[in-house]
Amino acid sequence: MLEFVKILSILILLSAFVLMGNKRINSYIETFRAQSLLIALMAGINGIIMLKTEGRFDLLAVCVLILVLKVIYIPGLLHRTYAHVKYEVEKDFILNIPILISVCSALVVFTYFCLRTLSSIIPNSIILQLVNSVSVIWIGLFFMISRKKAIGQIIGFLVIENGLFVTTMLGTEGMPFIVDLGLFIDLITAILIMGILVFRINDQFDSIDTDQLNKLKG
Amino acid sequence: MGFILPIIPVITVLLLFLTRKSFLQHIINLLASGLLVIGALLLTYKVVNEGSIRYGFLGGIFYVDALSVIVLDIVIIIGLVTSIYSVGYLQEEIRQEKIRPGQIKRYYLLMYSFIFTMVMALTVNNLGLMWIAIEATTLASAFLVGFDNNKYALEAAWKYVIICSVGIAIAFLGIILFYLSARGVLSESAALDWVALYENAKSLQSPVLRLAFIFILVGFGTKAGLAPMHTWLPDAHSQAPSPISALLSGVLLNSAMYGIIRALTIVNCNLENNIFTGRLLLAIGILSILTAAIFIMTQRDYKRLLAYSSIEHMGIIAVAMGVFTPLAVFGGLLHMINHSLTKSMLFLSAGNILQKFNTMQISKIKGVLKILPFSGTAFLLGLFAIAGTPPFSIFSSEINIIVALFSGGSIWIGVVLVLLLAVVFAGIVASLFRMFYGEREQETLQPGEINKVGTGAIVVLLIAITLGGLFMPSYVIELIYQAQGLILGI
Repeated sequence: MLEFVKILSILILLSAFVLMGNKRINSYIETFRAQSLLIALMAGINGIIMLKTEGRFDLLAVCVLILVLKVIYIPGLLHRTYAHVKYEVEKDFILNIPILISVCSALVVFTYFCLRTLSSIIPNSIILQLVNSVSVIWIGLFFMISRKKAIGQIIGFLVIENGLFVTTMLGTEGMPFIVDLGLFIDLITAILIMGILVFRINDQFDSIDTDQLNKLKG
Repeated sequence: MGFILPIIPVITVLLLFLTRKSFLQHIINLLASGLLVIGALLLTYKVVNEGSIRYGFLGGIFYVDALSVIVLDIVIIIGLVTSIYSVGYLQEEIRQEKIRPGQIKRYYLLMYSFIFTMVMALTVNNLGLMWIAIEATTLASAFLVGFDNNKYALEAAWKYVIICSVGIAIAFLGIILFYLSARGVLSESAALDWVALYENAKSLQSPVLRLAFIFILVGFGTKAGLAPMHTWLPDAHSQAPSPISALLSGVLLNSAMYGIIRALTIVNCNLENNIFTGRLLLAIGILSILTAAIFIMTQRDYKRLLAYSSIEHMGIIAVAMGVFTPLAVFGGLLHMINHSLTKSMLFLSAGNILQKFNTMQISKIKGVLKILPFSGTAFLLGLFAIAGTPPFSIFSSEINIIVALFSGGSIWIGVVLVLLLAVVFAGIVASLFRMFYGEREQETLQPGEINKVGTGAIVVLLIAITLGGLFMPSYVIELIYQAQGLILGI
């Protein structure tokens, strides 16, 4: 079972790279959906292990929450939001895609060197998985600054959240359930609020290009 | 008396949902904030006499001690003042047809959700839950920032949500690391409980804790408006409706700073000195004051100027916590109280000026003292107060912090701080004082206050900050001493 978790953590990292290479907003959303599905699988596997050893249902409940929210509801919401605003291929990157991917690889290496200090308290095999998940957080951050459309920034935020969730699961064997639950409530409200703001920005500015948000300075 | 403080805003929100008439909504608003103040005063009395209180229900997640009570009292008192001010403010906005009467309900709903999230953040004992509550403060206040729904307000709201959510996500990474540092020391359920973390601080893993503190400082620092993560703050504070700016500046920043102080306490106890945290906080604090000083010098918009001044004062509090001597911590906590009262008074009087003159540009405003005799005077005196002139209360806390810097051996930092404060003072005088005198070319505005009750609230705050500079009630001092003891671990 643990082998699966290792493979999944690598696949989650790879999905972040795939996301970085996507050009169309619809494909971002689908990549995010795939990544969330992988995370749900991981939570499911860990949940079964936890149920067997400790008899706790926490992680399985979290797995269901991820499936409902991140795999079904949020991508659907984003698709609906996007259907209302103008369809366009994202072409105005700050850097081109090969450079973006190289920077992402550098981020993974950087994370590896940062996390080596943890080796006194966590077994090495888990550290390698943590490197994958913490890298996902940085790649999410980098994704946010490399895309100019508002939906790209929402996806970046969701990827950061995904990375955080995997880090929590691997590093701590699950936070107390109430913390996980609160995290999901916050997440869903954040996405709803950002979605509504995207609508309003589109109404006011006739575009969701965040480069146009430059009125307030100094 | 049970623990009623978080329940009052929830009931208020439910009642607001049921009411249609704006008159009733104003009444509910005033009653709720009055009840909150009574509850907070009873709780403060209990904490001053009995020390920390832990409530048994819901798995014992509710916990208050002197430190949280100080910030909680600030939240609730500023909440009362803003709710009194909001009544007149909203009526005037309706009269000027800037908002529809139906929007009053939405305003109060969001405002009480905002207060609820802040009360929650200050009354839980669990780092994870506090994180959730602080993230929820962003979400509750996002639409308040974008309340005016024009291009500027939407830009501010978008920046606010995105920057603060990402910042706070980074703080969560710090909290995970906190949890990791307690591996093998604390049981799983107690590993995020800061009372337990603090009691076992010496056996936590130091390298992980250091890493955790950096993430928490960056994360909550974003919310507290410390430079260089402050970029959302001037936009949000200038575009939000004025009473909300008062809440954001006087209350929200302190709640985030409270999170940093909690983490700081544990880390310093673990490392047995404050060299590591002190360096970080001093650097980030001085950088915030410097950034604010530069932008204050060149500012053309008075609400943005006040926002930058908030960054400056958060920087001063960060410096005080970085020095970490008893005097500095005392000064820092006192500064928190004084800054909140003064800055919310300033934002509220700026709100009156904005409603009268309908512009945020300093250059377009002349003769405030003639046209708004009361709020104009309060604004003028408030500017002296915020710049640190005696006899106002900010002077007394700033002098405490400066003396602590000089007596604690950080003489150069003290010199830099005093110089920067002088620059800020000069900046405020140079940019804002031309608003008060002179004649307007076109005499279209009638002299006279618009929001009379609100102006009364402003005058009460002015009296409070003036008296606060001259003498401190003994129970406030007692409360600050207790909180100081908690932070320093003595």
